Parts: sequence; structure tokens; C-alpha cells
Amino acid sequence: MSISRRDFMKTGAAAAAIAAVPRPLMVRLGPTPEPMPPIDDPRLKALVGRALEAARGAGAAYADVRLTHRQNRSVDSTARVVDLESMVVGVRALVDGYWGFASGGVWSPDEMARLGRGAVALAKTNALGKSRTVDLAPVPAIRDGHWVMPVKIDPFEVPPVEIADFLGGLEIYVSRVAGAWVVGLATSDFEVQQSVFGSTEGSYYSQRCYRTQGGIGLKLERDGMVGGGEMDCLTPAGLGWEFFTADRVPFVRDRSLRETIRERLDEIEADMKLPVKPLDVGRYDTVFDARSVVNLLDGTLGPATELDRALGYEANAGGTSYLNAPFEMLGSYQVGAPLLTVTGNRSDAGGCATVQWDDEGVVPDEFPLVKEGVLVDFQTTRESAGWLKEAYAKAGKPFRSHGCANAQAGLFAPLQRNPNLTLAPDRGEVDFDALVAGVAKGIAVNGIAPYMDFQCLNGMGMGAAYEIKRGKRVARIANAGVLFRAPELWKGLLALGGTASARRYGTQASKGEPEQTTYYSVTAPPALFKQLTYIDPLRKA
Amino acid sequence: MSAHMDRLIRLDDGQRILSKAECETIARRVKGFAEGGGDTYVQISSWWAGELRWGRNRVSLAGDRRNVAVYLNRTIRRALGVAFTNQLDDVSLQSAVRAAERSARFLPTGPQDLEKPRPTFAYATPAIWSDATYDQTAPESGQSARALIDPAEAEAMLSAGYLEVRAETTAHYPKDGPAMYAATTNAQCSMTVRDEKGTGSGWAGLSSYDLRAVDTQTLAKRALEKAVASRNPVSLEPGRYTVILEPQAVHDLVQWIVNPIVLPTLSRDGAENGSGPFVAGSDNALGLYRSKLGLKVVDERITISHDPMDPLLGVVPFDGEDEPYRPVKWIDHGVLTALSDPREYALRHLNDNLGYPNSGAYRMSGGETSIEEMIRTTKRGLLVTRFSNFGLLDGSSLLMTGLTRDGLWLIENGKITKAVKNFRFTESPLFVLNSLEQLGEPVPVFSPGVPAIVPPLKARDFSFTSTIDAV
Repeated sequence: MSISRRDFMKTGAAAAAIAAVPRPLMVRLGPTPEPMPPIDDPRLKALVGRALEAARGAGAAYADVRLTHRQNRSVDSTARVVDLESMVVGVRALVDGYWGFASGGVWSPDEMARLGRGAVALAKTNALGKSRTVDLAPVPAIRDGHWVMPVKIDPFEVPPVEIADFLGGLEIYVSRVAGAWVVGLATSDFEVQQSVFGSTEGSYYSQRCYRTQGGIGLKLERDGMVGGGEMDCLTPAGLGWEFFTADRVPFVRDRSLRETIRERLDEIEADMKLPVKPLDVGRYDTVFDARSVVNLLDGTLGPATELDRALGYEANAGGTSYLNAPFEMLGSYQVGAPLLTVTGNRSDAGGCATVQWDDEGVVPDEFPLVKEGVLVDFQTTRESAGWLKEAYAKAGKPFRSHGCANAQAGLFAPLQRNPNLTLAPDRGEVDFDALVAGVAKGIAVNGIAPYMDFQCLNGMGMGAAYEIKRGKRVARIANAGVLFRAPELWKGLLALGGTASARRYGTQASKGEPEQTTYYSVTAPPALFKQLTYIDPLRKA
Repeated sequence: MSAHMDRLIRLDDGQRILSKAECETIARRVKGFAEGGGDTYVQISSWWAGELRWGRNRVSLAGDRRNVAVYLNRTIRRALGVAFTNQLDDVSLQSAVRAAERSARFLPTGPQDLEKPRPTFAYATPAIWSDATYDQTAPESGQSARALIDPAEAEAMLSAGYLEVRAETTAHYPKDGPAMYAATTNAQCSMTVRDEKGTGSGWAGLSSYDLRAVDTQTLAKRALEKAVASRNPVSLEPGRYTVILEPQAVHDLVQWIVNPIVLPTLSRDGAENGSGPFVAGSDNALGLYRSKLGLKVVDERITISHDPMDPLLGVVPFDGEDEPYRPVKWIDHGVLTALSDPREYALRHLNDNLGYPNSGAYRMSGGETSIEEMIRTTKRGLLVTRFSNFGLLDGSSLLMTGLTRDGLWLIENGKITKAVKNFRFTESPLFVLNSLEQLGEPVPVFSPGVPAIVPPLKARDFSFTSTIDAV
């Protein structure tokens, strides 16, 4: 006899029971296994100490340890729940300028010792060759830090049926009230990663970070025409269940999710009423919506300002950077118009890269990458900040890491990864419509997703394009592709939207060999650009 | 919980991956934890990787990583609950089973089971394990890397690259029917050499289950030569060019047809539901789309096939749904002769009790013409090392955009005359395979874990749409 979900919801105890995930995992902190303790349990420090001791004993000049425990849960509107849970550990050791790394899935004192020794042995293997120096930027030691990302509702405390009912309710709203339908199912994904970090420099911390995202695709039929689109207010965010249920989410949506869906459907419907025109190939002043500017910023300046990439360390993977002479370019290279200021941070509330400490125990700062159009800094780790030591001294800047070390999990050695990126908005109150209103003849593009090259220099992108005539969007344009070079694009930046028009999107990127995926958020306002080149991307030569 | 039940099976120095017997023990324990009837299905995997990465002529990281994964299904009243853990102690396994059961209980009862018993099938026993790969030590890899870097450094060039040896085990325990276990190794090496100013870039790479088949010194030589020869490129006008594609460049394009992880182009399910380039048209009588099965889709010199027993193309002989990989000719002399489908689709629509899984591994037929001969017989054309940064523009024709990368040269009157700046292209691999002039000898290419044997080729009218000045 099956119990309906509603019946289940009525009984509080049962609801609580299903909130429990496959717990507890077992760990070996002593001679016998025991349930996984809270992440700030002091005995985990002993486990970390064991690995550090082993590494130091084997000859490491520096070593650090990361224990990570991750839970993932997906819930869709049919109450299908998938739970993933894993714990891993990695030890990184430095010997004579060479790094070794060993990782695995067992948290036990013996395994810590094996990994500590193993990492050193690997480093030594390569230290046999030519000399290499690593000048780690100094960092104050963290004494027993504990931090929890301040989410309002821990999604793992919410009964999955409640989540499923909420998603099902959205589907019903879309179909019964708004007269449209949801493509496939409404979905939600949650992650919580707890990590412990310790280093031979005496740092020790634990932190718990959350990531939440969802998927709702909309479809609409009016007068025999079909339109649709994805709800883009559910890209990954460093938030809890409130990402779905809150009345507003700063930089993401100003209204409830339901009202935002309604708004989106209205937009889709308005779009469908516009005539469709072919592209008249040529150059046009262009208004990009916030999503487009986010994607352009991410494509042209996200990976390009990674210092390791700019110096060629990623040449055999994702590629290099057009900012390929970092030392000469710092402080003088014109990346874009004076309107362009881009900063990195790992502190934005709701940002996917937000942490208290990075994977090297650094408190990340908020730092400008591009200031008034000029390249002023790069994304760094403790090692890569060392490459800029002289440049920083010359510029009178402190010698420090910006805290961009990030590993997908303890199983991976940390790499320099994108922090949250922000394009500083205009001080005024201009929004997308106001930017469009200022254009006599041009094109507006929503949601462009550019294909970049391996130096983040040349791009080609398509989005939903509109013809602008006398300040109004008057037609949709089929197959409009923008062709651009990064410096020329940003030098043609004419106007930006204000803070209220800025939007934040979470995204993921892969880097390195072996490849790792990490998440970060990008925030930008809509913007007006001068004379961009449009082509039909489906047209062959 | 009794004391003996908490035994940890661990991967340590003596043992980096799980044996068949250990997987069986774990599966038995998982099945023993099931409560409330229904069926239990378990997949257990383990892997180890020895990794070495370098950049700017120095090793930047040497790694040794390993992990396990237990993925389990509990089907109760035809509702499917799923859970995953990487801990092998009994309490963790038991709680994973409970999690799957909990989630199964919330789901409405599933559709009537279509399942007929799977026919007994002898899985292929391909060559996928190499002791040479598994036994490669970190010091050996380190020595090897230094030998790869030195020639580039001697020429004042910058080398970045990656050398990996890896072993994996995969074990499946269906509710009935025999258990499956396979152990496989993989070796890969690739590198990019650039000049200090970044005006030239050369790449070479190769992968195989057997490290001995990856001649790293030849790769180092080729990457360096390409880097040197590609410096200071000139800009050419976009347009249609005759191209000579090296095997890697051909693979970069053809994997969009063959490899389901890249794009499910060979999916029967997809084609008969109207998606992809192999849709012939809708069939009103059937209420389905007709696929292009039986129709000529590319040049008749092209055959694309896979035999799991091919000594160079071995793969784990079953897919994620326990389906056996069988010898298949996807395209035979230009005619589309097979499409892949999952067993459920075969049962539901084709009255067949076996699916046709596609591992993505393939052999493409070739010809007799060497690359040198292709160059010698070209009046004006371009020699392409490889492609990169793909984006699919139109799924129904496989029209894509992408870039040339790491070595592009102009051929004039039978000779390579200049290094050329990279291009963005707008082209479909199907168009290329229909515009063939010459084919060369098929060789293994860089395609880690999904082996491929691919010829070089010469084709007409390849569409380059814009010049890019990225190197």
C-alpha cells in the first residue's frame, strides 16, 4: 500500500525522518570507525596534524591538507531524490620548488600518514631535475577558524517532499494560471561541502559552503506560434533553499519566483508579437542585457586575467591569454574604455566562489583587475602572487595572494580559479530599457553566449537579437551573430546600467590537467557598445 | 553493528584499485542491507591515476590520486531509488541503501515493467589492461617528462604538457544474471610548445591503454617542430580552402558524429524523434521520423566501425546499463548502416531484446595517400594540425563553428610555404566527408579512454569564415 506524499507531509515525524540523508558516514579518528563528527570537531585537527607531521618528517618545506565532505541532492517535481555523498582528502607538499600531491577517499590516521609521505615522495621525484623556485606570498596563520556560509535555510534540512511540492506548485502555476507549460520537469540541485584545511605554517580552519541551483524551462503557445525560454534566475548561487522561496534575491530577482516567472512569460509573449526580420549584415550600436554583459565579461576577462594562464601554464589545456606579457602590461595596458572597472572577490553574499578562506588558508580580498579601463592586477594564489612580487613592490602594492586557490574537492590539488567577478555599474539609475531608449538605430541582444578562442581574444556570439529604431525594440532579428575582439569590444563601451539593473549569474568552468570544475558568480549591468560587427553565423564562406 | 562489519576496504600503496573478489564482497553486503523487498542493483568502480603536469619547462605538479564509487539502485514497486557513496564500510553502505529506499518510497509506482530477461551474452574480452601502464612509477614519469622538456628548452622554447597513467575497475551486479567486472588502464601524453613571445605554437599528443604505444619522444619532437615552423604567421583572407587535415584534426571533427558523449548523432532514438542530421523525414503512417538508415550519407570511401576486440580499440565491454558492446559498422562505404539505441528503446520500439550501445571508440577507413603526397598534389591549400573550441550551430546539419589551433600552414604549388594565422571555421563534418579528395593511412590519435583510429585526409572547399589572431 503506497502512502501518498500528502499523507506523509501531515506527519511531522515522518517528514523529519525523510529529511535525513544517508548518514552517518564512518571515519576513523581512532582505532575504531565512528560516525562522521561535525566538521569543527577538534579531532579532525589531529587527523590533519598527522598528515602534516608525515609530510614534514619526510622533508617537505611546506605542506597543506584538505579534507572535504560533500553532499549533493537533486529533487524534481515528481519527488525523485538523488543523494550523493562522498568524503575525500588530499595532501600537497613542496620540496625544493616542486609540488607533489596525493589524495584518496579514506579519512584515517594511517591514510593521512601515507598521503603525507606520498606527496613528499612525488615532489622529490621532480626536484631531481633543474631548479625551480616557489616564493609563497606570506599569509597570517589562521588559528582554529570555523565558518559557515550564512544561508537562510539549509536545503538539507528541508524535507524533499516539501521541495517537490514547491516545484510541482510552480508547474501548476505555469500551466493553470499563466497558460503556458514547463518543459520536462522543474528541478533543483543542492550541494553542501564541508572542508577542513591545515598547513605546516600553523593554519587550521573548517568551513561549510552551500550551492543551490534550479532549472525551469518555459513554453508558450499563442496564435499558433510557440515561444519559450529557460528561467535564468536559477543559475548556481551560494544560497540555500531561500534561493527558491525568498520574495527577492539581491541581484537575481526583485519579486517572488512565481511573479518572476509571470514576468518572463509576459516578455516571451511580447517577443512573439514582434515581427521577425533577417539580419542586414553590418555594424551597429548595441545594447546588451545584463546576462550578455556577464557572459562577455566572463569570456574575455575571466580566464584572461588568470596569471598562470597568461604565463603559459595552461597552454596545453584551455589555452593562454591575450594579456600575454603580464609584467609589461600591468598598470598600463588599456583593456577597455575608462568606464570599465572589474573587480574580483570571494565575499559576495550569494556568490558561488564565496568563502571565508581559500584552499590555501588565505582570506580573499576584493581587488581590482581592471581600473578605469587599465589592467591593474591578475587573479593569484600564494605561488602565482610570488611571480608578481617585484611588480607589486614597484607599484607600492602589498605582496599578497588574492585568495583564488580553489580545488574542486580534496581529491584535487588547488589551482588558481576565478573568484566572483563584478563589473562596476554606473552611479546613475539607467536600466536596459533606458539604454535602448537612447539608441536611434541599433541592435539589442539578450543572453549572448560567446564562443571565445584559446586566448580569450576573438569571439563570436549569438543571442536573442532585436532591431532598435528610435529608442524602441521594433523587430526580432533571426540569426544575428556578433563578431568581436576583446580589447575593441571593451574600448567601445559607451554606457553602463546602474546598480539596480545589475544581475548576477552563477557559472562553472573547467581548467587544468586533470580537469577540475569550479563555480563562481559574475555580476554586471546592461551596457551600450559602439558599432559592433554583425554576421550571419550559419553562413559559410 | 557487529565489530567485523566495519572493515574498511582501502586503496593504499599495495592496492590501488579494487579486485573482482572485493567488488563481489561489497555488492553482496549492499544487497544484504536491502529491506522492504524489491530489487537491488549495484555498480562499483575504483580508479587510480598517476599524473604529471608541466608548464614553462618545469614540472608544476606530480600527483597520485585514487577513489572508489558505489552507485546503487533500489527498485521497490517499480519505483526507482538511487544513491551514491564513496565509503566502503558497512554503516555507510547501509545508509546509502536506506537513502535509496527512502527515495523509492516517495515515488509513484513506475510504469509496467517492459523487461524481458536479458539474453545470456558472452561479453567481449578486449585488450584493455597493460602492466606497463599500471607499473609506471612516478620517478619514471618524472624522468620521462624531463626528457620531453629538454629539447624545447634547448631551443629556448616553452613546453607545457601532461602525462598520465591510470587504472580503473568497473563492476556491475544486476538483480539477476551474471556479474560483470572489467579492469582497464589508460596512458596519455600531450604537450604544447610555444616560443617565448607567443607567435608560434605546436601540439602533439597520443593516448592508449598501453603506455608502450605512446612514443613520448616522437611527440616532443613533433610539438617542437610545429612550434618552430608556426612562428610569425601571415594573415590570409577567409574563404573556402582545400585542406589537408592531419589525423587529429579529422578526429576532432568526426568525434561529433561518432562519440555520444560529444553529441548523440548516432542515436536511433534521436533520429526517430526528429533530431540530428540522420533524420530523413517524417513518416506519417508510423507517426515517427524515418532515419537515414540505408542511405548514403558520406563519401563511399568512408567506413566507420568498431570492434571491441580490435587490439587497438578495446573498451570496457559493457556500457552503464550492462549492454554488451558488439562489433558494429555505423557507416559502411558511405551508407549509414547502424544507429545506436538503449535496450529500453529496442524493447519498446524494435522488438529487440538487446540495445546497441555506442562506446564512442571507432576506426575510420583510410586510403593510400601519404600526407607528403597530399601536399605535393595540392596547388593551393592549408595544412591543419588540429581544431579547438567547437560550438554546434545547427544540429540538423551538424554545422559547427570552431578554430584551427597549434599549427596551420599554407601550401602553394605542392610545397608548404608559410605559417598562417588561425581561422574560425563554419563547417559540418558531414560536408567534409562528402568533399574528399584523398585519404591516408589510419593511425591512433589522442582520445583518452575512447580510442580512435583515424586517417589524414584532403578535402575541398572547407569554409573558413574569419581570421583570428590568437596563437
